Amino acid sequence: MKRSLFIVVIIALTLSLSLNLSAQEKKIVRKVITFENTPAKRPYSPAIEANNTLYVSGQIAVDQATGKLIEGGIELQARQVLKNLKNVVEKGGYTMDNVVKCTVLLSDIATYSTVNQIYMEFFPKDPPARMAFAVKDLPMGALIEIDAIAVK
Amino acid sequence: MKKIISTSKAPSAIGPYSQGVEANGTLYISGQIPINPETGKLIEGGITEQTRQVFRNIGAILNEAGFSFSDVVKSTCLLSDMGDFKAMNEVYAGFYPESKPARAAYAVKSLPMGALIEIETIAVKS
Repeated sequence: MKRSLFIVVIIALTLSLSLNLSAQEKKIVRKVITFENTPAKRPYSPAIEANNTLYVSGQIAVDQATGKLIEGGIELQARQVLKNLKNVVEKGGYTMDNVVKCTVLLSDIATYSTVNQIYMEFFPKDPPARMAFAVKDLPMGALIEIDAIAVK
Repeated sequence: MKKIISTSKAPSAIGPYSQGVEANGTLYISGQIPINPETGKLIEGGITEQTRQVFRNIGAILNEAGFSFSDVVKSTCLLSDMGDFKAMNEVYAGFYPESKPARAAYAVKSLPMGALIEIETIAVKS
């Protein structure tokens, strides 16, 4: 009788311990991904990680050193946007291969195929799901903006 | 697995969509425009008032789902005029003072009901 009670207690303790552990594992950690030179008054973060998913803000062709939109046409802007995107993705501890979804916003749908050529350089294999369309205007008069979601 | 979020404190859907859907701890909130939930009409006023109403609607849906603004990970802000960007940001910043969500913002050709702003939101329970 004593022996079976002892066994029941041991089983109960083991169970509660493992439940506790799985509750801790399930706790979702939210992490802000930011850079030293990210303006403090900007109302969004470069990226947020939660639940093994990285949400990356829409990137425009801003030169990280000057904070200004780069000079030049769609090719240069598209390459700069994708460079900025890669930079944020990697700062978050992810790779471009982890990107599952992109939204490509263009100021002019005529730039679609030029953008695709450059886009492919950054996603050479198994590219992410994507939505692409032309909008009325982008911030700072940019020609292109791309946001992304990555999953580890 | 999929849970539909519905509240009378936010505008009823004006089409075939749910106010919010939760799945695996992630809440997807439909794009909110500045409809007053009591009248079902777009509120009067400019971008500042419209942005505030959009946030009241988002707040009501977050609350109904048991989430808060600090759980939001991603916003998409659609404007009818890029010239409203700065004024929108001023209201927006007040709702996300820290741990600011990722965001994409841009101007579109037109929004439902002639709204000046629509904001779509994703939140993850932390």
